Amino acid sequence: MDIRKNTGALKWTLIIGCSIFLFVFLILPLAYIVVTALRQGVQAYWNAITDEYALKAAWLTIVATLWAVVVNTIFGLCAAWALTKFAFRGKKLISTFIDLPVTVSPIIAGLIYVLTFGRQSWLFPILDKFGIQIIFATPGIVLATVFVTFPFISRELIPVLTAQGNDEEEAAALMGAKTFTIFRKVTLPHIKWALLYGVVLCTARAMGEFGAVSVLSGHLRGKTNTLPLYIELLYQGYDFTGAFGASSVLVILAIIILALRVWLEKRGNKELDISK
Amino acid sequence: MSSAENKVEENYVELRHINKRFGDFQASRDVNLGVKKGRLVALLGSSGSGKTTILRMIAGLETPDSGEILIDGKVVNDVPGSERGIGFVFQSYALFRYMTVYDNIAFGLRVKKTSKAEIDDRVHELLKLINCEGLEKRYPSQLSGGQRQRVAFARALAPRPQLLLLDEPFAAIDAKIRLELRSWLREMITNLHITSIFVTHDQDEAIEVADDIIVTDHGGIEQIGSARELYTNPKTPFVAQFIGNSIVVNDYARFQFFHDVGEGTKAILRPEFIAVFKKGENKQFLSSAEEGLVEDVIFRGDSLEIRVRIHGFVLSATRSINDPMIEIGETVDVFVYRLFVIKGDTIELHDNESLKKESVVI
Repeated sequence: MDIRKNTGALKWTLIIGCSIFLFVFLILPLAYIVVTALRQGVQAYWNAITDEYALKAAWLTIVATLWAVVVNTIFGLCAAWALTKFAFRGKKLISTFIDLPVTVSPIIAGLIYVLTFGRQSWLFPILDKFGIQIIFATPGIVLATVFVTFPFISRELIPVLTAQGNDEEEAAALMGAKTFTIFRKVTLPHIKWALLYGVVLCTARAMGEFGAVSVLSGHLRGKTNTLPLYIELLYQGYDFTGAFGASSVLVILAIIILALRVWLEKRGNKELDISK
Repeated sequence: MSSAENKVEENYVELRHINKRFGDFQASRDVNLGVKKGRLVALLGSSGSGKTTILRMIAGLETPDSGEILIDGKVVNDVPGSERGIGFVFQSYALFRYMTVYDNIAFGLRVKKTSKAEIDDRVHELLKLINCEGLEKRYPSQLSGGQRQRVAFARALAPRPQLLLLDEPFAAIDAKIRLELRSWLREMITNLHITSIFVTHDQDEAIEVADDIIVTDHGGIEQIGSARELYTNPKTPFVAQFIGNSIVVNDYARFQFFHDVGEGTKAILRPEFIAVFKKGENKQFLSSAEEGLVEDVIFRGDSLEIRVRIHGFVLSATRSINDPMIEIGETVDVFVYRLFVIKGDTIELHDNESLKKESVVI
């Protein structure tokens, strides 16, 4: 009852508190990025973001992100399917391991790949023989990105699949539908929005990854620099227009993803009404 | 030998010595049963009695650990459920949420690569059968509980199965519509002449809908028979207690005119075995009736339930609403016609001994 009586004061205190916090810690820094990026004029800004190395870094970021999304979608679907539709030994173990990348520091993720595929590893001679270079090359960056975004898609799918149960799949199977048909016609429509939502989260995380990628990249300008790494490089070189210009590109991408996320959540909730 | 073969042919579905465990839980314990062609059979038992497991094994959704399942005279243990010629109605219907009513019903036919025209005919035929014409474009969430159940029924029937299996078909429906649906389903299945087995925990449902009832308990089969047989001639103490509003009394020999048969001291009494009379109302059994105190009178709409305390037991009896009213606290004459005496694993029906004498008088 007390909370109801105090609605006015409490409500406004909370709202104002949150707003100030968001403004100081989020809006202000983001605005500062844009302001700094534009300080030397629009032309300088444009030059900075269309710089050859900036474009190459952006391209590498996109490649790594696409890989991460594709690999984790396939893995996420398989893992979620296995964990929710079958009962087997070691289920808990798999479920726990999926979350490992979230708890492990990205720098460790980078280092384990250096140890696994680097010069000191017994795998190195074999890979070298076939001319495959992983460390300080694009494959390493892709691996690191996949690792840090590992659980994002499966974690979105598992609760949805658990809630759905197996009845519909059993009904379809009893009518003679093949596994793939069941997946396409019965399961997929159900998890569609959760899957897209997972893809969006995975994309956001993949684009921004710094730590693990930093260890594996080798920082070769124009070759193994992703956008976040490129930004750091410019920043260390006191090129603030360049650093903040490239940052603003990442910020814009993040805002697009955020909008996508909101839209997906809305659509998903709308379809949830059908599924009840 | 030939008689045994005939027996096999008679049963459309047969289970022989079926056992099934889920971890430590014994879901089926040497289950033997037969269902004749065209019959509507209920698997009746409380939850955890193994009735759903039996149904799911017949459907091929579970595999028995040992024993044989026969459908139409063939052992189908290794035949996938989709090739057993069955239609299955799930407890929660399991309608495909993201498909329209039309697509739901058509699903089984499309999987079997039936032609478009044929599917269309069949779906409309079924929509008419289930009184859902005009609903084909709706999604399951836009249907009432009763409509969903009927669509699930139509979906199961669409590929023309030989055997229909229904898992608690009425459990998810409001009490009022449930009664309508029961008689609708019974009528439908009788008209279609399709062998059907349904699972229920509700004995009224089993009695009203089924031709035969299979009573399950603790993974085993207690008795198979018509509702009348189960009522009048229960084979096991469980069935005697489970069917009807039975009350177990210890030391039944305290009632007059029932003598202790020695072994059993427990007996089962049902409301229909007991008559309650107002003082002086009863002429026929005056000498053999005993006095009881009315503890409660419950209005049941079409009848009254009288709870009467006698020899330390509270017995239930029904009385017509046309009979003279009985009040709480009144002393009444109670006459027990008969009771089931539990003797180990068997049941004996004992009539009131005074009945024989009095019938001589009349």
